[in-house]
Amino acid sequence: MADSTDTFTFQFNGQVVEARAGDTVASALYRAGRRIFTRSFKYHRPRGLLCMAGKCPNCMMNVDGTPNVRACITPARAGMRVKHQNAYPSLDRDLLSAVQRFDWLMPVGWYYKTMTHEWSWHAAEPYIRKVAGLGVAPEPGAGSKDYEHAWVHAEVAVIGGGPAGLQAALELGQGGAQVTLVDDQPELGGHLRYRKQAGRVPAELIAQLRSLPGVEIISRAYCFGLYEGNLLGVLQASPHAGVIERLIHLRAKRVVVATGAYEVPFTFENNDLPGVMLSTAVQRLIHLHGIKPGHRAVIVANGTQGDEVAADLREAGVEVVTRLAPDQVVAGVGSSHITAVRAKDGEFACDLLVLCGQRVPDAGLLNQAGGKLAWNEERGAFLPVDLPAGVSAAGEVTGAWLVRAATLPPENVPFDKRSFVCLCSDVSTADLRDGIREGFDHIETLKRYTTLTMGPCQGRMCQLAGIGVCAHETGRSMGETGVTTSRPPNPSVSLGALAGPRHHPTRRTPMHYAHDESGAVWMDMGEWKRPRYYRTASCSSERACVEEEYRAVRERLGLIDVSTLGKLDVKGRDAGKLLDKVYTNRFSDLKPGRVRYSVLCDEAGIMLDDGTISRLAEDHYFITTTTGNLDFVQQWLEWWLVGTGWDVHITNVTGGRAAVNLAGPQSRYVLNTLTECDLTTKAFPYMACREAEVAGVPSFLMRIGFVGETGWEIHFPAEFGEHLWNKLLEAGKAFDLRPFGIEAQRLLRLEKRHVIVGVDTDALSNPYESGMAWVAKLDKADFIGRNALSRLAQAAPQQNLVGFVMNEDALPQDGAAILVDGALAGRVTSARYSPKNGKAVGLAWVVAKAADEGTEIHIRVDGGTARARIVSEAFYDPAGERLRM
Amino acid sequence: MSFLIPCPHCGNRSVYEFRFGGEVKQRPQPEAPAEEWMEYTYTKANESGVQKEWWFHRSGCRQWLQALRNTTTNEVVEAFFPE
Repeated sequence: MADSTDTFTFQFNGQVVEARAGDTVASALYRAGRRIFTRSFKYHRPRGLLCMAGKCPNCMMNVDGTPNVRACITPARAGMRVKHQNAYPSLDRDLLSAVQRFDWLMPVGWYYKTMTHEWSWHAAEPYIRKVAGLGVAPEPGAGSKDYEHAWVHAEVAVIGGGPAGLQAALELGQGGAQVTLVDDQPELGGHLRYRKQAGRVPAELIAQLRSLPGVEIISRAYCFGLYEGNLLGVLQASPHAGVIERLIHLRAKRVVVATGAYEVPFTFENNDLPGVMLSTAVQRLIHLHGIKPGHRAVIVANGTQGDEVAADLREAGVEVVTRLAPDQVVAGVGSSHITAVRAKDGEFACDLLVLCGQRVPDAGLLNQAGGKLAWNEERGAFLPVDLPAGVSAAGEVTGAWLVRAATLPPENVPFDKRSFVCLCSDVSTADLRDGIREGFDHIETLKRYTTLTMGPCQGRMCQLAGIGVCAHETGRSMGETGVTTSRPPNPSVSLGALAGPRHHPTRRTPMHYAHDESGAVWMDMGEWKRPRYYRTASCSSERACVEEEYRAVRERLGLIDVSTLGKLDVKGRDAGKLLDKVYTNRFSDLKPGRVRYSVLCDEAGIMLDDGTISRLAEDHYFITTTTGNLDFVQQWLEWWLVGTGWDVHITNVTGGRAAVNLAGPQSRYVLNTLTECDLTTKAFPYMACREAEVAGVPSFLMRIGFVGETGWEIHFPAEFGEHLWNKLLEAGKAFDLRPFGIEAQRLLRLEKRHVIVGVDTDALSNPYESGMAWVAKLDKADFIGRNALSRLAQAAPQQNLVGFVMNEDALPQDGAAILVDGALAGRVTSARYSPKNGKAVGLAWVVAKAADEGTEIHIRVDGGTARARIVSEAFYDPAGERLRM
Repeated sequence: MSFLIPCPHCGNRSVYEFRFGGEVKQRPQPEAPAEEWMEYTYTKANESGVQKEWWFHRSGCRQWLQALRNTTTNEVVEAFFPE
């Protein structure tokens, strides 16, 4: 019960509202006199509190920037900022409510009937979006830190903290089971908390339950989905300060669903007016929040079903004007709030119309788990049957104690546009009838055509009534008409909760902070942070910096951090055999101290990755993979090892090793000052590798040349990352060494026509069409992809990966279309301005007939086209002499 | 999709810890006829019922295993390391 001595305030539309401890947003607003809580989706009709249980769409508001929050179940907190939604300028005076005068222009299936051309939708969409709809999505990134995820495992999960759930949890807990009880209320007890005539909250039982060591209770958490393998999606509100919601992945061996039953309204004209309220909502206002809900009430109930709420109303000081049977009610009277109810035998003035509606099992979870719902005439509801193994039901959700509140299907249905079945999207009885007459007479097609049950309440308020109207109109029974399927999430879940906390793992190389000191401008490559380029005093733009770095490598020397390369250490007697089987190139005959390049193909001959493989010893290889493909390559190697019995051990040493590439004509002089290793071409030729100390660090050196200059890739323990990096920078000072980033590297390799697998190739690229035929050794007896490659080797290529040089000053974007004779003939994969050529150069896929040297192509650039020609050789040092100097 | 896979090394674990590796197929001999290779490379049985599949326990023991899974119910009958 809300405590009248403990008060605080929050804001509603900038106005201060007083709340008491125990209040929800809606109860505080109701006590302060607010009666209109929302405007309806389509017609902007005023809507007030209906269920007070988070089951209906009538109180959704924006709370602290989060849209569509159900105010009736959201605890009020001091200082929170609440705003209304979907009304202009205010809830009480919404100009958009003029829309409802034009309801005759909006028949059921309006979109299908009016939006028959693409242009009509494009023309109408901006206006529809302004007028219709729910809340406004928060700005990207706003509040993304306010959600969290948790994982909980239980032997038994009990959903619902009412009498049945408590009893189930207690018995299971006493039997020694590990139980997790999920309840959507702030306190346990279920309907006993507000239905004072039905019994008392069993405090002793709750105390007993809390004392059991194996029982965990999760309060203020609702279960929105029961998935395969008894995985429950549970959303807990405000688990602790600073977190709006926590999404709990609850996995249980067994699930007991004790979600109880909820009440649904009757259908009559103006049944959506504020002041029309379910009896359980009235009881909640009175008994949970100490609010007198109105002054003069009319109760609509079948027989004695209104006795309970009548007693509660009288106790709260509300005059009960009269009681009406459901079939006596004709219409609600009033414009912004109910002022009277028109019955068959007269009109009764009132400010509260209390509906003792049908109680419906909250069986959505059971339905999701695979249970069926079968019509039960006696109970007047669809009850769960045929539950799957591992899932059981307890309490009112089974249908026990439910009493029929009205005849279904109804004998008479008031067909008009003001008798609302679906409150979420303003679907009236007339809309349903029209939909059925248009041929959508199956409950599932009727649902999709009219959007019945598809709004935020997910059919809780409208499903039973909708089935009733459908059965009435089609002349079928309730059972024959059947129910629509419940799917998770039900009820809705905020996207922020699903996304969870913003948690992107970031990997930094051991030299990260040294790059920062050199002015690195960062870019993301998968999880890694890599310097895109370095901003220095001598260059102001990215292009100028990249060109300086480029010139340093071409003319003197540069240093790049390549620690992000995947690194695999492969050891064992059969290591060569495995590499021969998996890579296209041959490795069993590679001499220790040598490096070989290869690609990796799948059985269809598609290139999956590339890299260098060095042989350190007879039974010891070292593989590098592309930055993003490490996991894949390791798994691929291990996969092909399964069941062979071969002696091979693969160790991922990526994080343990740092790597740099020192490249440029003067790299040898600089490296010489730091190592004893003989770096002369005679002793250390191109594609050789050696183990040696560099600046006192035990290192592994490979003489390879991705960027096309004499250079060494140096791999060494990560803990010496900064040390060696700084030593190299220092030693290079005399030669004006520049650290260079990804952009310069991409340009340097492009001039050499070196392909980046995954950038210049895709899921259709094989080595032949990519111009790398030499990498496939078809004379090996077997390797992955050999069969496909041997066929591709014979086949005429469909397309080719070619180099091109622009004929004019234009720089195509990666991905730009290529035209030959006006027809689409390919696309650019990489293009950069080449200082060497004075024009942009690039790689592109073109149809085979346009792939010959010198062919003129047109490339889409900035909305126009620019001329280019195909070049078959590398744009820089085609003979590769500089690599071997 | 939220079923469990009984990893022979780690026990019952969420499917999200695993990488799917497709149906288990017999790789043809290198010189087998082209039809056999085409069948192996491009055709999937896509059994409606129990089929034998490869799974890699990415967030666990990081081993490849095989599982008998019913594709209509997602019940994993058995999971084991292949011989």
